[in-house]
Amino acid sequence: MKIIVNAELCQGHARCLAEGPDIYVLDDVGYNSTSIDNVPPHLHEQARRGALACPEQAITIVED
Amino acid sequence: MTSVASGENPRPEGVPAVDFDLRSQNGLAESNAAWAELRKHGPVAWSDDNGGAWIVSGYNAVTEGFRNWRALQSGRAVRTIPGPGGSPDLNPLNAVPTRTTGLLIPEELDPPLWKPYRQVFNELLSPKKVEQALYPRVRYWVTKCLDDVIESGQCDIVETLTSGVPAAVILEWLGFPEEDWHRLSAAFHNMASYIPGTPNADHYMSELDWAFDRIEAEVAAVRENPRDDVTSYLSNVEVNGERTSYEFAKGMLNLAVSGGVDTTTSVASSAIVHLSRHPELRQRLIDEPELIDSAIEEFLRVYPPARTHGRTVVEDTELAGFKLRKNDRVILSEVSANYDETAFPDADKFIVDRFPNRHLAFGMGNHRCPGSHIGRAMFKEMLTQVLERMPDFKVNEEELEEYPNCAALGGWSKAPITFTPGKRRL
Repeated sequence: MKIIVNAELCQGHARCLAEGPDIYVLDDVGYNSTSIDNVPPHLHEQARRGALACPEQAITIVED
Repeated sequence: MTSVASGENPRPEGVPAVDFDLRSQNGLAESNAAWAELRKHGPVAWSDDNGGAWIVSGYNAVTEGFRNWRALQSGRAVRTIPGPGGSPDLNPLNAVPTRTTGLLIPEELDPPLWKPYRQVFNELLSPKKVEQALYPRVRYWVTKCLDDVIESGQCDIVETLTSGVPAAVILEWLGFPEEDWHRLSAAFHNMASYIPGTPNADHYMSELDWAFDRIEAEVAAVRENPRDDVTSYLSNVEVNGERTSYEFAKGMLNLAVSGGVDTTTSVASSAIVHLSRHPELRQRLIDEPELIDSAIEEFLRVYPPARTHGRTVVEDTELAGFKLRKNDRVILSEVSANYDETAFPDADKFIVDRFPNRHLAFGMGNHRCPGSHIGRAMFKEMLTQVLERMPDFKVNEEELEEYPNCAALGGWSKAPITFTPGKRRL
């Protein structure tokens, strides 16, 4: 599974981190510009919920 | 900042024209019903009221509007036809144009100037800062505010907690002396009361004037003699290689104070009243505290403090298929978006574990509320301690008082409660 973050759409709501605290990475001011290539299987659900939670719909999940 | 003439364009053709005077929306139920009625016409309509404006009520259209910062300007505009309160100014806050309010920075800026000022706020109120530096004070003030009343078994939960805590946390953080906190927070808490025609409007308007003057005096003082606090930092911060201007220093302080002191109050008060009216939900939150985070998001969706924002069109553009013209005024409704059935199934129901919940309580796009992290932290701590320490609280419905007008900001002026007395913690 890949997480693709569109950093231009991110406005720092931090909802991705709230739903996926063990997989999402925010910068020092709470914005996300970190796409992730290999999401470990036990974190797939966190990854999906984090993407769904984003009000700006800035995150795309690519399932295996 | 551009001075854009607004209000000159005639009603556009081929658009549903509705009677929609935001100034007449008194009370949450009436306001929500008016928005629901409007959504039946479609996501976008035009109202001739208050000088003429697009009224955007659908979720997709509202989010599209917030994201189109290029064409829909947040910067202050000048009407050619003054609003009903005589004010020529339009800014994002006065969906109901009534008076000139203090400049708000960076809310009233557009890119590119918006960016470095926004970065200042992002750094000050980042999730990390909130967790490490601010949260201990949130916990302290919630504990203390409840300690002050816990043995008596009664209080106005707005005065005691939901207004008191944000005022203390934010004004302490900024460095304002404690003797000013109550008057400053009351001035913004009562802001909805100054609308011409409401009782004591003059008094509340003069209190708001006092508040902006008080903030200005503080800014002037710390630009002369900086202290080691956030007000001094904001008033002297370097942006684009230079110390920020006096106007923008005031603007940042205006935003820091006004953005913080009444918004969290509004949703927290609404949540407490809601829980008094729905004791089964309250019990569920007590039994399953892991639901509190999603309950908070649902309270934010159902009771968004900031209900509408205005924009001015600076170049012809499209919104949800409609053609917006340069100089048009646009009202984007976060509250209507939050109740749009196309985005939220069973939107009228409070669903404690609703997911996803991509509400607009903190806005959308580049002006997303920079206080969202501290706001959620304060709300969560208030809710948690109320449920722990006064789990049987009951609102006195006869003495509940709403804001006189909730076009822009909704909430409770007063919410007296009774409860079984408990113990102080400090």
